Amino acid sequence: MFTSSPSLKMEAIGCLFSRRSLSAFPILPPRSRRRPFQSPSLVPLMMSSSPSSAQEAYKGPRPRRDLVGDWVSNNNGLVRSLPIYVGGLSLLVVLLNRAFSGIALVTDASSSQSRADILTLSLSVTNLLTGLVWLSIRPKYVSPVIPCGVECMRINSDIADLAIHELRWVWESLSSTTCCRSLVVIYGGNCFLQIGIAAESQNETGVAMVVDVHKLLQGSLCRSAIGSGKQSYLANLSLYPGRSELPFLPSNTQSVILQPLGDRGIAIVGGDIIRGFTNLDQSFSFDFEAFSLLV
Amino acid sequence: MASGCAVSVAGGSKWLLQFKHQDAREGLAISRLPPLPSYIFVDHSWMRISGIPGLDESYLPRYIGIAFGFLIILNHVFSASPATPAQLRTEALGMCLAAFSTALPYLGRFLEGANATDRASIPEENKQIFVMSNDILDTQKGDLAWASYALLRNTNSMSVIIAVNDVICVRGYWNTPEDKDASKDHLLNWFNSQIQKTGFFDLKDMLYFPQGSESELGTLLPKGTLSALIQPVIRTSDPVVNFATKNEGFILLASSVKYAYSEKDRAWIRAVANKFLHKISKDL
Repeated sequence: MFTSSPSLKMEAIGCLFSRRSLSAFPILPPRSRRRPFQSPSLVPLMMSSSPSSAQEAYKGPRPRRDLVGDWVSNNNGLVRSLPIYVGGLSLLVVLLNRAFSGIALVTDASSSQSRADILTLSLSVTNLLTGLVWLSIRPKYVSPVIPCGVECMRINSDIADLAIHELRWVWESLSSTTCCRSLVVIYGGNCFLQIGIAAESQNETGVAMVVDVHKLLQGSLCRSAIGSGKQSYLANLSLYPGRSELPFLPSNTQSVILQPLGDRGIAIVGGDIIRGFTNLDQSFSFDFEAFSLLV
Repeated sequence: MASGCAVSVAGGSKWLLQFKHQDAREGLAISRLPPLPSYIFVDHSWMRISGIPGLDESYLPRYIGIAFGFLIILNHVFSASPATPAQLRTEALGMCLAAFSTALPYLGRFLEGANATDRASIPEENKQIFVMSNDILDTQKGDLAWASYALLRNTNSMSVIIAVNDVICVRGYWNTPEDKDASKDHLLNWFNSQIQKTGFFDLKDMLYFPQGSESELGTLLPKGTLSALIQPVIRTSDPVVNFATKNEGFILLASSVKYAYSEKDRAWIRAVANKFLHKISKDL
């Protein structure tokens, strides 16, 4: 389990406290969403001194192509129903074979034919049931909802460049890997980051609503998450009355993760698909909390 | 409608404030964006029969196919009278069904929503280690420690190497040649020498060995590795410095199960690798 040194944590938290009001943030140049891993232009690039990093092709072993796996992946529907067809057809063939071979319909345990028929029928039923299971556990296709709001990129200028770099990386990771469309990071009573799609301000057209940090932190959702220290996942946001505490998110935000950052902050991740965040997404979101204390 | 103004940032840089109003017409807002995912994976593990510990229910068709196929053969061998044509037809069909049932778990592995099997036990020849290069900043240590921890915790990995710009972090279960009193420097030298032989610094794309054997990737991987994934840390072209794609390092993950890394896992591993762009260097 990783633990940071006390001096490092104090230095990091010290960086978090050195900032001015929200209205003085600089805004980053607009960037396209969903283009992962673009190099940020903040830090000068360092050359690697390794000679093997020259522009040579990799000559080592490569994985063998799995033709069966590719075929199954490309014919998902067919493969799911294949055991049903195979099982049903073989069941019919066994019965027809018995009927047209002049064999008595009575099953006699002393007869080799009957024993073979019973074993084959059992295998047919096994395939039928497997096909039914595969069809029943087919992943549910859910369409994402287009968030209603304006694009927003606000980041507090008074935090360290390292923190800015980390926050931008968090946003790029979440937006490219999950259904995240909105991200707000609050720490120490200030909004560090508001990015993605945000609700439109009621006072100004085309301008994102500013996060009322004080009101947000007084709400039950944030108090509960920060108080418990545990991540809160609202898989279907429309079912929660506390939805009104997050007015800065698009009105049709489908799911939200509330990730406390220690006991002084919270990250709010809004998604555009109901139950769109998987267990893995939630785990990595939780781990952001651990490293964010170093930012 | 868009509005803009210049805002000063500490250090003198100016950034343009722009808000883009999402067009009210449905569909236009996403016309600038790449295609959105059309489905989500729903974890159906709760539907599985939870009765026999250690028994993976998805392998039941295989067990039944093997058992019943064996019984069909026994029935044929010990028949009191010679097999009739009808019996031969039934037995042939039965053997085909047994072979098909045996193959079903393999096919099911590639279906959408299939999850990797539970983690196998760690091979006994390996021991747990956690070493990093010397003379690196505390923040870099923090990044390496966090990334290695997150990858080991959230994926089916037993071992990880993060090698970026001459800095290396090794964590998890490994087996090194001399494992008794190996010093940290000795371990780092050994790993560095092994890494140089692999050529992973020349990679431009992710390499995923879902059924990779140790012999394919040399002696670097720990014993019992059944899956391996190497994600290069690639920097794309930067208009300021005018670089093309450049490999700055890689992340290597090893697992003791086959097909350990799903598409989602690989996406997150790419995201973690991207964290190290420009950041890690002994010269910083």
